[in-house]
Amino acid sequence: MPQLKIQNLTKRFPGVVALNQIDFELEAGEIHAICGENGAGKSTLIKILSGIYPVGSYEGDIFLDGQPATFLSPTDAGAAGISVIYQELALVGEMTVAENIFLGREPTRLGRIDWNAVYARTRELLDRYQLPLDPGARVGELGVGEQQLVEIVKALSQQTRILLLDEPTAALTETEVGILLNIVRELKSRGITCVYISHKLDEVFAIADRITVIRDGRSIATHQTAQTRPNQVIREMVGREITELFPRRPGNPGEVRLAVKNLTVAGTHRHRPILEDISFELHAGEVLGLGGLMGAGRTELLMFLFGVTGRRVQGEVWLNGKPYRGTSPRDAIRGGMVMISEDRKRFGLNLAQSIGFNLSLASLARFTPAFLINASLENRSNQALFEALGIKAPGLETAVETLSGGNQQKVVLGKGIMTEPAVIFLDEPTRGIDVGSKQEVYELINRLTDQGKAVLLVSSEMPELLGMSDRIIILSEGKIGGVFTREEADQEILLAAAMRHHHQKN
Amino acid sequence: MHDNLSIRNFSLVIALILIWIFFGLMSDAFLGARNLSQLSIELAVTATLALGMLIVLLPGLIDLSVGSGVGLIGGIASVLVFQHHYPAPVAMGIAVLVALLIWRLMGTLIVRQHVPAFIITLGGLLIFKGLFWLVIQNATIPVSAGNTGNIYAALTTFYLPPIYGYLLGAGIFAAIVYGSLRARSQRLAHRFAVEEREILILKLIVIFQGLLLFVLTMNRFRGIPLSVIILGTVAFAVHTITRHTPFGRHLYAIGGNEEAAVLSGIPIQKTIVLAFTLMGAIVALTGFMQTAYAGASTTTVGDLMELDAIAACVIGGTSLKGGRGKVLGVLFGALIMASLLNGMTLLAISPELKFIARGTVLVLAVWMDVRLSRNTPWPA
Repeated sequence: MPQLKIQNLTKRFPGVVALNQIDFELEAGEIHAICGENGAGKSTLIKILSGIYPVGSYEGDIFLDGQPATFLSPTDAGAAGISVIYQELALVGEMTVAENIFLGREPTRLGRIDWNAVYARTRELLDRYQLPLDPGARVGELGVGEQQLVEIVKALSQQTRILLLDEPTAALTETEVGILLNIVRELKSRGITCVYISHKLDEVFAIADRITVIRDGRSIATHQTAQTRPNQVIREMVGREITELFPRRPGNPGEVRLAVKNLTVAGTHRHRPILEDISFELHAGEVLGLGGLMGAGRTELLMFLFGVTGRRVQGEVWLNGKPYRGTSPRDAIRGGMVMISEDRKRFGLNLAQSIGFNLSLASLARFTPAFLINASLENRSNQALFEALGIKAPGLETAVETLSGGNQQKVVLGKGIMTEPAVIFLDEPTRGIDVGSKQEVYELINRLTDQGKAVLLVSSEMPELLGMSDRIIILSEGKIGGVFTREEADQEILLAAAMRHHHQKN
Repeated sequence: MHDNLSIRNFSLVIALILIWIFFGLMSDAFLGARNLSQLSIELAVTATLALGMLIVLLPGLIDLSVGSGVGLIGGIASVLVFQHHYPAPVAMGIAVLVALLIWRLMGTLIVRQHVPAFIITLGGLLIFKGLFWLVIQNATIPVSAGNTGNIYAALTTFYLPPIYGYLLGAGIFAAIVYGSLRARSQRLAHRFAVEEREILILKLIVIFQGLLLFVLTMNRFRGIPLSVIILGTVAFAVHTITRHTPFGRHLYAIGGNEEAAVLSGIPIQKTIVLAFTLMGAIVALTGFMQTAYAGASTTTVGDLMELDAIAACVIGGTSLKGGRGKVLGVLFGALIMASLLNGMTLLAISPELKFIARGTVLVLAVWMDVRLSRNTPWPA
């Protein structure tokens, strides 16, 4: 008998069927991956299993150990042994590791918190799973990977039998991903069932016993991992064959749009330069890739050029053939630059507002002949962009918070494009979005360069950098580590360039 | 952005009707033409200030200094008129300039020196109260000298002659009909969702009856009060500014997500300074109306009005975190607050109980709002 069985589960929202007669079985002690594009219904499934959507708000049956499960709240699900690690961590930065783990369930003696018990029991848990964490460390001072571990320990401290991990590696470095995967294996060996939700097929194939693919709210297939291959899973996720992963059509580079000459930049609060002697030219119709290791200064370069942070020490920036001296995002946008940030929820979107509100937000001056916004002009532009980008939503008045990650990313891109920029900075434009949406973003990049726009693309994914750039600049410790054409570059050469100044320093 | 007939809007209407039924049963005078005329003047004062508060709350700020400011600005105008014999328009012009400068300065301090609005305006609350008492020397300063009327006093004593009241009502209704039909055809042209034609007609009929009832009632006393016309003008202006200008969109954008607003090239500092400057203009206008309604500047004019303004906004669905709020909601919130105060005064309820009742209504209204808006939107 499966430990958990889902039968004919359907969840409707106004105007949308998020889950459509899903079936799913979970064997005790297995690691079961769920793969699907953003918007396929993974998050909804998790929210039903964890009791956020209570029984009665969906159709169909859930059986836990053969008994019907009727969760009315996350507390019920927790009591039944189901815990969730969400993409967005829910920790209190000002509190210690131990305080966070026992938050809301503090052991008490005579009505006062028994701090000895809190720390002793945390120590015990950390030792049992051999986790390198200090119970007394302040959570805000830990890295994202360590914070993730705290979340997991928190879940384990409450007699968890089934652990749901929702995109747990989205914000982790490679090393941290390795540690996390080992912990999941360790949990399995202790008999804890894990549901692992991820876009990253290499992780899924490294760890899962079985893989279930869902698409458009339906369960498509369940495989034994050993008996399938990534290509098949991708095909099932997308519902079509993806022949060419990186469909870059090299354009005809035109005149120089952005020229950076011997630029040295200091951090706003630090004296040591964060960027040193940077020079490059970005041409119309070109995709210039910007690579490097974490902390090499890629985002800092974009942030400086866009007027967000950093202080010029020396050097020049030329925009469209003229010296550029802007100091704010407003100046940058007026000069014809636009930046699409890697953190779209924080830096890109007004989640509670509509798609239309967000699309036109940075371009309102264009729709305002005198004092009032011309609603006709605005809606016409919004509608055109909405259709051109293929945003999947009922209409322009849909709130952005209800969209999937890929569609939210399209809205952010649309807002940038609406300003009619000559130069576009893309910072990790495909982070956290699914294979199908990635393809659409790549296709969009092609269309933009066809129109003569210049694109500066920051990416941590080597294949993306190699696949989508016409030329590649590698930053290393804030300096240029190397410049390569598409033909010259391969992963080894780029990695060597990224390490160049590390060697010098050591 | 579309105004839906949601449960929230109805709950405000129901609360209002219950309040009116209660006071109507307790006192015959409450629903009489004379009292409703008074109530409408009191509403005009409360609601005008609340509309200014909306402009400040939308980008996620707050202004606690407006109550003291109402006293101070009204006081400056009174002193200039009564003691220095300035013509009323000149005195009011000077007072408006003072208000614009003060609120501009507060806005500038908030954005340039990064002192939280809560603290700047809390300081303002105390400082303006002190300045106010200095200006009027703790005395009672009438808004006009002797028995001569002036435009200052007329703010709450002038009534539109009945015939003009009917004309104004008809004009407003015609404008509403034209506006809704035009908006509807534009929405259809852009393939946006529109309400059923029957619902629209029903809405227009209700609006027509409401307007007619209002004009008839006001005309049974002295006519439509000038202050109500001022409120209508301010409400229309604030609605237009918040909904149909880049400045207004920017207010919502800053309140909704300030970091995203910065990266979208929105001039945050300019927007906030302008929001506070507009607040200053509205404080001045409210100061004149409130002082004129009291007949003179006395030390208590404006007391706690900042709290009524915030309460009206919040009851009307404005978020204290910013990014959410509408003119129509604020007007309803102000009507609820004004009705309560008016009714309690009519029943000669003691000041102690009045405070308790106002506080209770505020808490109840927000609690109701939280309960009703707990419908989670569908997720990704």
